[in-house]
Amino acid sequence: MSAVEHAFSHQGALAKAINGFSPRQAQLDMAMEVAKAIEQKNSLVVEAGTGTGKTFAYLIPALLANKADAESDQGQKKIIVSTGTKNLQEQLFHKDLPLIRKALASNAQVALLKGRANYLCIYRLEQYQNSRGQLDAQTLADFVKVRSWANGTRSGDIGEVVNVMEGSPVFPFVTSTVDNCLAKDCPNIDDCYLIKAREKAIDADLVVVNHHLFFADMALKDSGFGELIPKADVMIFDEAHQIADIASEYFGEAFSTRQLLDLCTDVLQVYRSELTDVKQLGKAAEKLLKTSQEFRLLFNYDPERGNWREKHKQQRFSHAFTLLKTDLDFLYQVIKLCVSRNEAIDNCFDRAVNLLTQYEVMADVDAMGMSFWYETTPRHVVLHKTPLSVADKFGHYVKESGAGWIFTSATLAVDGAFQHFSSHLGIEHSASLLLDSPFDYAKQSQLVIPRYLPAANDRNRAKALSDLAKPLIEASKGACFMLFTSYRVMHQVAELLAEEVDNRLLVQGQMGKRKLLEEFVEQADAVLLATASFWEGVDVRGDKLTCVIIDKLPFASPDDPLLQARSEDVKRQGKDPFAQIQLPQAVIALKQGVGRLIRDVSDNGVLVICDDRLVNRPYGEVFLKSLPEMKRSRDIKQAANFLSKLG
Amino acid sequence: MQTQAMFYSIEEQSKIAGVSEQQLHLYYACLQAAYFYRQNQRVFIYTQDQESAHNIDEMLWAFDPTSFVPHNLIGEGPKQGAAVEISWQAPTNRRAVLINLTSDVPNFANQFSHLIDFVPADETLKEQARNRFRTCRQWNFNVAHQVASAPQPIDTTS
Repeated sequence: MSAVEHAFSHQGALAKAINGFSPRQAQLDMAMEVAKAIEQKNSLVVEAGTGTGKTFAYLIPALLANKADAESDQGQKKIIVSTGTKNLQEQLFHKDLPLIRKALASNAQVALLKGRANYLCIYRLEQYQNSRGQLDAQTLADFVKVRSWANGTRSGDIGEVVNVMEGSPVFPFVTSTVDNCLAKDCPNIDDCYLIKAREKAIDADLVVVNHHLFFADMALKDSGFGELIPKADVMIFDEAHQIADIASEYFGEAFSTRQLLDLCTDVLQVYRSELTDVKQLGKAAEKLLKTSQEFRLLFNYDPERGNWREKHKQQRFSHAFTLLKTDLDFLYQVIKLCVSRNEAIDNCFDRAVNLLTQYEVMADVDAMGMSFWYETTPRHVVLHKTPLSVADKFGHYVKESGAGWIFTSATLAVDGAFQHFSSHLGIEHSASLLLDSPFDYAKQSQLVIPRYLPAANDRNRAKALSDLAKPLIEASKGACFMLFTSYRVMHQVAELLAEEVDNRLLVQGQMGKRKLLEEFVEQADAVLLATASFWEGVDVRGDKLTCVIIDKLPFASPDDPLLQARSEDVKRQGKDPFAQIQLPQAVIALKQGVGRLIRDVSDNGVLVICDDRLVNRPYGEVFLKSLPEMKRSRDIKQAANFLSKLG
Repeated sequence: MQTQAMFYSIEEQSKIAGVSEQQLHLYYACLQAAYFYRQNQRVFIYTQDQESAHNIDEMLWAFDPTSFVPHNLIGEGPKQGAAVEISWQAPTNRRAVLINLTSDVPNFANQFSHLIDFVPADETLKEQARNRFRTCRQWNFNVAHQVASAPQPIDTTS
């Protein structure tokens, strides 16, 4: 019996440490494959359906391998575990890891590393205290709380400041960004929390990071990075279905008017406080500030995404874009004259240089194999250059690393195969494993496609949606989500439902996402209406959520510029972009959704998809073969019956 | 063009685990729809009334995913209908295969190149089926008969 088998056995470490632990074959299968990949330094792709217990199945072989190496003096076996979100990082670090370390009597040093924005920047805190911008009362109160916490903290992790709201405007003033970090010129570098956290991570046996951090490191997108991954022997990605998109983002470039604005603000601050003699400094910064605001005004009022290559062809956009360059260049010339007068202005100088380089990247829209796109927020424009594929780069990296790579998630396979996932990352030669969930989906859940739905553009659509939702809301006693692809339909349905049901309707936009979810969980009969992306990362357990109504299959919008660019590319290769890109993406999104609805052996739920294409198009088959075997029906009444029996 | 009519009778060897006797001929109707769909033939399933149309719709949707059949009821779905259309009214577009689940042979049956019909075990229904069989003869269809039996695995690669 191998060490891994023993750990999972009836007499093993887990059975001893965890009350009610019972060995599960699927979990052991996965653990054995993970152990093999670590030993042979191979890559492995595992889909482990919800409830398989995949966290233990990768942590245990990894820590056992580390322990074995330590005991036989073979040096340190370094492990990196990367998860999808900060919350998952914390859960892994504070809950799962301590339990397993204890169970295995492992001495492995573990560390948690978060992104830069999570650590207090002592320099900026002091700067801010001295200059004291105009703060409103709330922010000022938050600032006072942060300051008193800052005196006592050891980690500098702002997650510890529990009495200040997560999104408080005070945080950007007391944390750093890649742009405004003074790095080696910083007077507080010896006490820097970020550097301390990184050093700890570099020494640790096992580091918990998130995908954004991982790829920032890999793509060398932050100073002091690029040190962590080359040292690792084992790389584990949980929620791995997200990484292709995140990797693209980091292997790409971005240029935003926010960076320009931040630079101008900082230059102005230096000008007003220390370099008051250089009048041009103020003028140049204000000029650029104005030009970048005007640049935003060229785009539509409502936030959107679009093709930058096309916009750049239009004269008024290219003209405004050229003005940005002129003013940025002018500011650069002025700052240059002040170089080495103080650290802050030197930092501004470096940023101006970088921004000029970034500008050129976005001006060269003819670059091949790239998508150029923009997105706008209410105040800013971000230009992006994204590689159409990261397969070459990433695949090469994996091959050359000499490490074991584990990719796992509850949703990786499409129609029983991993080709979609593996080809995106250039890891086609990986071993793979598909483990079904232990849940009895046929008993626990239903997939319902209502009959006679009006077409998506029909003006009776909202009415039809609210009519079919009504009995389901009643039957589920409000434990119901309604998710929409458009805000317009969401508001129409909300209005209609308000007349029809007594349940409180929580509509996205009424309050922040977190607050909305809290209200939903607290108020027994409240129904939540939101847009489709809202569901991502939402974790509502048990009978609080038994019914999810989705208005359309989750195909990416054909207007998405990155999707368009990728589709063009696939077409050029003579393949069908729908089958290659859109379909697998939608399948994974829907599988994610089912995983959120049924989280436990005792969970029950109904997923209603108001999109009959699932029934009448040939690709329905791909969805059905990829989703868990839920009971399928087209009868709303029957579904309502199922729901009302749950309570 | 002569319509090829095939009558499948439901007998002892037709039984399928998990399918009730009353539903057996519907199950075989679904199998036939799945078969013709995979032959790239468009199918029209004609039912007695809306309720029976819903029954067959429910059954097709719940069918084994490896024999998935894209289908729609009359009054929903794409303009020209899906590969398989279910209706209790006369067809509105041209299709090759008619699966008849009503008590009579519909008068539009001769527009189809294939007619699939069933002879259920129930005596009354069996008698009705015999009448349909005779009607098909009278209408000069090329009529054949065989016992419905547990299916060969359907080749999904074709």
